[in-house]
Amino acid sequence: MKNLSDKNVLNLRKFLKNNILNNSDFVGHEDERQQVFDLLHRTITSGESNSALLIGPRASGKTTLVDNVLRDLQPYFSSDAILVKLHGLIHTDDRIALKSITAQMNLENAVDGKVFGSFADNLTFLLACLKSGERGVSKSIIFIIEEFDLFCSHHNQTLLYNLFDVSQSAQTPICVLGITCRLDVIELLEKRVKSRFSHRQIFLFLGNDNENHLDQRLARLQKYFLVPIQQSVDIAPSFKKQWNSSVHTLLKDRNFKSLMQRLIDLDLSERSLKNILLLVVSELNNDNNKLAYDTFLRQVELFERDETVQVLQDLSVLELCLIITMKHHCEIYDNQPMNFEMVFSRYLKFANANSNIQTVERPVIMKAFEQIENLELISPLTTGNSTVQKEYQLFKLLVLPHQITEAVKKITGLPTEVTQYANSSLV
Amino acid sequence: MSTRKSLRLQKSRGDTTPATPIHQNFYSPRLRSSVKRNLNSSFGASEHESLSPTKLLKAGPSPAKKNEKITLVIDKKNMTCRPLFRYESSESEDDYVSRSRAVGKRKVKSPVKYTHVNVSPKKTVNKGVEELHFTPVKNKLLEKDVFYDGCRTPRTPRSSGKKATPRSTIKQIREGTITPKVQSRTKAMELDDTPLKVARSHLHVSYVPTDLPCREKEHEDILSFLEGKLFDKCGGCMYISGVPGTGKTATVTSVVNHLLKAAKTGDVPNFQYVNLNGMKLTEPRQAYVEIVKQLTGKTVTWEQAQSTLEEIFTKKAKKMKLPIILLVDELDIICTKRQDVVYNILDWPTKSITQLIVITIANTMDLPERLLMNRVTSRLGLTRLTFQAYTHKQLQEIVTKRLFGTNSFNPDAVQLVARKVASVSGDARRALDICRRAAEIAEVEGDDTLVSMSHVNEALKAMITQPKVRAIKNCSRLEQYVLQAVISEVERTGIEETVFSNVYQMLVSLCAVNGFNSVSCTIALRAISKLGACRLLLVDQKCHDLDERIILNVSPDDVYYALKEE
Repeated sequence: MKNLSDKNVLNLRKFLKNNILNNSDFVGHEDERQQVFDLLHRTITSGESNSALLIGPRASGKTTLVDNVLRDLQPYFSSDAILVKLHGLIHTDDRIALKSITAQMNLENAVDGKVFGSFADNLTFLLACLKSGERGVSKSIIFIIEEFDLFCSHHNQTLLYNLFDVSQSAQTPICVLGITCRLDVIELLEKRVKSRFSHRQIFLFLGNDNENHLDQRLARLQKYFLVPIQQSVDIAPSFKKQWNSSVHTLLKDRNFKSLMQRLIDLDLSERSLKNILLLVVSELNNDNNKLAYDTFLRQVELFERDETVQVLQDLSVLELCLIITMKHHCEIYDNQPMNFEMVFSRYLKFANANSNIQTVERPVIMKAFEQIENLELISPLTTGNSTVQKEYQLFKLLVLPHQITEAVKKITGLPTEVTQYANSSLV
Repeated sequence: MSTRKSLRLQKSRGDTTPATPIHQNFYSPRLRSSVKRNLNSSFGASEHESLSPTKLLKAGPSPAKKNEKITLVIDKKNMTCRPLFRYESSESEDDYVSRSRAVGKRKVKSPVKYTHVNVSPKKTVNKGVEELHFTPVKNKLLEKDVFYDGCRTPRTPRSSGKKATPRSTIKQIREGTITPKVQSRTKAMELDDTPLKVARSHLHVSYVPTDLPCREKEHEDILSFLEGKLFDKCGGCMYISGVPGTGKTATVTSVVNHLLKAAKTGDVPNFQYVNLNGMKLTEPRQAYVEIVKQLTGKTVTWEQAQSTLEEIFTKKAKKMKLPIILLVDELDIICTKRQDVVYNILDWPTKSITQLIVITIANTMDLPERLLMNRVTSRLGLTRLTFQAYTHKQLQEIVTKRLFGTNSFNPDAVQLVARKVASVSGDARRALDICRRAAEIAEVEGDDTLVSMSHVNEALKAMITQPKVRAIKNCSRLEQYVLQAVISEVERTGIEETVFSNVYQMLVSLCAVNGFNSVSCTIALRAISKLGACRLLLVDQKCHDLDERIILNVSPDDVYYALKEE
């Protein structure tokens, strides 16, 4: 019996993870999707040359949209169209991009994905090829350019100019679709390139203005979590029912709703939600086979926590004392930079005043100081200036006062003197 | 004495593979003398440069060659037939420096073709004169001759029989025998059936009408300039400027097409047309290659191309029959620091051997004075023409002329587009694109709708308006608070640049005021980097700590406007 339910949970976890990660359907933004679809469809079927930019913040589903549209257009790609995909992070200059285009278009000077000839040869040949084609006879070519803004930094923007120029002249029908997250990408184009671009911009924002984000998100969660009864997932029906009902109750929970609202307030993108969901799903096991509010709460708190405080909590008492000393220094001198000698003398005052604090040697304190520097809790003001001795090099503190108080509060078993020292204000 | 010796030593080391020295010692002096004798007997000294090594071989009488082969056979035990070709190549490099390395290499690799190429007798007769008039078609014929030649021993032709190797393909591309083409589609395309579709295809920028409206005067100017130069049989330069999208290239192309038509009927002298675009070159020197390619159909290295062009334009012996009209688009890209390319292009017309007329196009009016050196500017001359940006009336005329015959546009709508575009840039491409977009929007409603003001308004809104306000509206609540915090920090300090620690303090108090749970530094930094990615904020790329510098990239009014409306 136990074995059986164990298997159920395993299968459920597998199903949910797959559902969350490999979900390629595109929800919402019907207008934008239709516009992209029309654009590509017209290029393929009626041989019209086009260019457009798809702009939206990171994680707003730009690539998902394009992939979705391309999947619908898949039947054309064998007969009437060629798809060329470029990525700004992979094709870092025109030379590499051009080789890739030649290989993907399968031109005569490419054999099995290897392209021959120099850069100039490739460009001339590609342009000659594109020029030889004409509307209605040759295949349409669709260029999908991801990270479009990085292509703008190429030398002279030769590739962009040529692609846009082809799209504006009576040659092979092509469609250039750039994808970028920069809103001001058009200002990066040179005036000639800008004039040849058709100024068709499709914006994809995270939320729609009038829709309720919370409802949308709850619907999305439902879609992720519910296990279909009919579909053949290898889970016992009773278990399925039990699971689905637990999902329903959770989604109606008021606390859970406010938690989701908080998450939406922080970050609208679905990517951060998915990250949390995956963590929650990973925690499912035999003993804990229900979707619980507590798990979500824990994950959201993890998502929201301050990393610096986390680092501070793991410091030794000596290091923490040094940090507190630095904080005092900053408070007194109004964020003036400090060096080791200043911190050391201030620390000595504290250590001598309290008999309970073990006195340590100077080299040990120096070591602790270096440790803090390695953790990048302090950073040197001048970089690469080796003439200054280590003790006298100036540093600035990268920790905010409230982070120190928070960390001190969280550490258990800290000597009372240190806590008092942290809370005392010297001003 | 000693230096010469060492030189020779070096040479022999560089020229030969480990197997060859013996061979060279044995045969090379005698062969050299025989070839030289042949050469002197069959060709005039003046023709040295035009001879390729292959021609030379071909010209040489066969007996000498037969001797060669015999010696080779004898020698075959310790070396293959390679030495023969090695000998050829080294010899030719000695005598004809002008041949490039590339050609020499190729010859060594696949010698068969070269010995064959020389066979067709009719080519060699007038090669010296007609070399530059080769078209790809002729080359193809030549290839055929090669393979059906009867008197040779049958050898399997490498490039045609088996699957073409990449190297042979490259060679064919360079020689111009392979015509570049795109794959053709299998299904027939839909036709433009509805009036809106016809209007759309006519509004596409690629649809160039037969005569360009509103550019009659410029057309006339360029035409008279070119005609004058052609009739007078002298070279010259012209500089055309104007902002993008004002019809510079289209006008020049239509003038040249007009002249080509006239040349066919014999109204003007016949000429050759070469068309060059600076942006389509990977580097300025490729201009030479492109010109030679358009004249002869062959691709060579730029050094070779330059010397060929020098010959055509400056040496009396190589005079071309026809005058050449050279159009150089995007001149400013060809101008480098040294300006050798642009100097050469503008210097050739002044040398009156072959008639060359250069038309240069660029965007800025004062380019010659600003960018070019004095000696280049003076060669460019003062024949200049400026294309003014289109006024709204002209734009309206352009669009209406394209729509002639299809009454699917409301005239007022066209006027609206013309006025909007003319007020911004006067770019004809822009106006056409907006009209096309409007037609698409109208098409959604039905195939026969009239494109009205509302459609045009929508298209204008999509293509001209700034997206920033919408972007701010669609930010998450935290990101909106961050923007507000940056603004209030800027207002507090009066300086545009702020640092993260100050913004964070402001953010904490803003959250407290608005009843929003306070956020940690990590989350705040994450939000700021997100805003930085879509350029609503400008942030430091290097450091992401308390001292990260932040600048607002939108006007505060935009932020207020976006946030107030809710």
